[in-house]
Amino acid sequence: MRKFLRWLYAFFRRSLQARWVAATVILSTFALVSVGGFLSYSIGSGLFETRQQQILAEAHRAVVEVQNTFTASASADTETLQGLMNTVIPNLESKSSSSSRSVALLRSPGQSTGQYLQSPVSLGLDASLIPDSLRNAVRSHISKLVYKSVSLPIGANTHPGLIVGAHMEIPVAGAYELYLVYDLGSAQETLDFVQRTLFFGGMALILLIGAVSFYVTSRIVSPMRKAAEISAQLAAGDLEPRMEVSGDDVIAALGSSFNTMADSMKAKIEELSKLSQMQQVFVSDVSHELRTPLTTIKLSAELLQARVEELSPAAVRNLEKLTSQISRFESLLADLLEISRFDALSVVGDFELEDLNGVVGLSLAHIQPLADSKGSSLEVIIPNGPVQAEFDPRRIERVLRNLLSNAIEHGEGNPIRIEVGQNATAVAVTVTDFGVGMTPAQVARVFDRFWRADPARKRTTGGTGLGLSIAQADTNLHNGWLQLVSSPTKGTTFRMTLPRKQNILFTQSPLPLGRSRS
Amino acid sequence: MHKILVIEDEPDMNELIVEVLEAAGYKAEGVLDGITALERFASMQPDLVLLDVQLPGLNGLEIAKKIRQTHGTPIIMLTARTDSEDIVLGLEAGADDYVPKPFDSPVLIARIKARLRDLKTSGSEVFTLGPITIDVAGHEVRKDGVRLQLTPLEFKLLETLAATPGEVFSREELLIKVWGYKFEPNDKFKPDTRLVNVHVQRLRSKIEEDADTPHFVLTERGIGYKAGSN
Repeated sequence: MRKFLRWLYAFFRRSLQARWVAATVILSTFALVSVGGFLSYSIGSGLFETRQQQILAEAHRAVVEVQNTFTASASADTETLQGLMNTVIPNLESKSSSSSRSVALLRSPGQSTGQYLQSPVSLGLDASLIPDSLRNAVRSHISKLVYKSVSLPIGANTHPGLIVGAHMEIPVAGAYELYLVYDLGSAQETLDFVQRTLFFGGMALILLIGAVSFYVTSRIVSPMRKAAEISAQLAAGDLEPRMEVSGDDVIAALGSSFNTMADSMKAKIEELSKLSQMQQVFVSDVSHELRTPLTTIKLSAELLQARVEELSPAAVRNLEKLTSQISRFESLLADLLEISRFDALSVVGDFELEDLNGVVGLSLAHIQPLADSKGSSLEVIIPNGPVQAEFDPRRIERVLRNLLSNAIEHGEGNPIRIEVGQNATAVAVTVTDFGVGMTPAQVARVFDRFWRADPARKRTTGGTGLGLSIAQADTNLHNGWLQLVSSPTKGTTFRMTLPRKQNILFTQSPLPLGRSRS
Repeated sequence: MHKILVIEDEPDMNELIVEVLEAAGYKAEGVLDGITALERFASMQPDLVLLDVQLPGLNGLEIAKKIRQTHGTPIIMLTARTDSEDIVLGLEAGADDYVPKPFDSPVLIARIKARLRDLKTSGSEVFTLGPITIDVAGHEVRKDGVRLQLTPLEFKLLETLAATPGEVFSREELLIKVWGYKFEPNDKFKPDTRLVNVHVQRLRSKIEEDADTPHFVLTERGIGYKAGSN
């Protein structure tokens, strides 16, 4: 039940049309119930009032007639009187289908006269139905008709009834009360029929209103629903679908302006993607075009180097500068090309099941000379045994080399700490330096291309300014995380977390990103 | 003294490469465009060709194809483009190896040395793979008695695999055994394993009925290649 209610709630939340139809049906039900109630009430009371007036007029005539009959027989004896009673009173009965009338002539209690005649009562009438209050009223209003509504048991049912009572002076016999009991069953039937008609008519009307409002709302809701579907498709990247536009109304206006919006969006997106593609191609072309002249320069420098003994000391120093700048130029070109590959989404990882410790070892060996030249010692904390994960060893080693050279560059000669960790779903490496550190604003830009924390600071380790951007792209390629914490003058920790397998989702890194100096 | 033909359209670069090669003890000659290159190739009969892929006139790939039609001379491509497609196209055109620009001269020399190495094995075995017979001494491959034209490198590749049918060779092993390379795991100029893939494909197109459903040179997924005779 609760489940059903929840479903119903969700259904109404979801469907605008259902809400509209439900609201229309509920409101029109209220209106119909009030109108129907009022109609039924006024028809009912009208029906009964008319019938009551008829009955009272009839009863009045009957009472006067009976009284006159009895008064005229003033000299009669008891027997005649009893006979008269037995003929006059049953004559008042009627059994027509539209209105049935039963009669009772009852002797008023508490009379001194001993004369006692048998009271005629219509067959089937239970004299006890006549309430005492009515009898008392009859006795206290001698010259008036007194009436009261009662319910009459007829078979298993009860019918509404009206009892009219009148005082009657019968010569010799004394005070009597004449009661005319009217069965109002037929009026009730009429009323029932009217109410039934109203009820079923009302039900039909509500269903009709529901159907009409369903139709009307669907005319309005379905273009809206279509618009919602199409905008979802647009948002998902399919720029083709459009709304159907027919007619000239507000819905058509919605459709055509929606389509115009989609068209201009599509044009804009295509223009932008073309521009960005042109730019990627340009960067890639530039990097390639620079390679041939760079090779020429490099070969020239190598040939010069081969004849270094013929050169003057000043020329040798210049040749050294040339050589070191050539290698920097070369790494810059390689990095630019790598970035342009990432931008063009043409990078595919070469994933293998590898031991992360081994890759960490390789990158440390590679970076050791740089660390030595800066005076930073490398402290390594690795778990016992292999740290197996599925990754592209060439890329991960490059990430680690980038993180390490970055740490050494900003580490101010302090020790660099490298830690490897693993849990069930992920493996991680942290690289911590205790050097200059960065402000939060600087941390936010650390992965930006060619960005430097301090532009005045000289690049001393030959970084290209693209290292961290590439490291981030490489980590993303592995569905991993590259995160950092940093505080000025304290240092920086970078943490790379990789899933154990490429199709695994992980939620927690095996190593904390907090910083503490051991 | 080995003769090397250098086909490179950039005059400075051409001159420098020739100088580097001569310093390393080779007899080198440079040409600047594709059409002269083919003429020189015919008259000079070099032992090795260094070929720049981006050439004006006749493109480097065309030159490689034309040379391959008649000669098994080793061809090393020089390329500024190292994306998969460019490399694969060059190797498919018939190049045996490629050196990406910008290169160091020692790397270039090492690659040239490896290619000029005498590929002939001293043995006199004759291997068979189903209908294929490989005569090591005669340096000859026949299938159903018909002689097949293989380049020395393709021959060496087939010979290496066929010597121990069923044994799986990794791509790195083949680079060492067939191409004659020595490298460290993290060598910056580590030769590319695509070399092996493309050469296997080239070899298959010569010896298999259908190169896509091979029977003699089989791929062992995730490991490497082996020879089969079924």
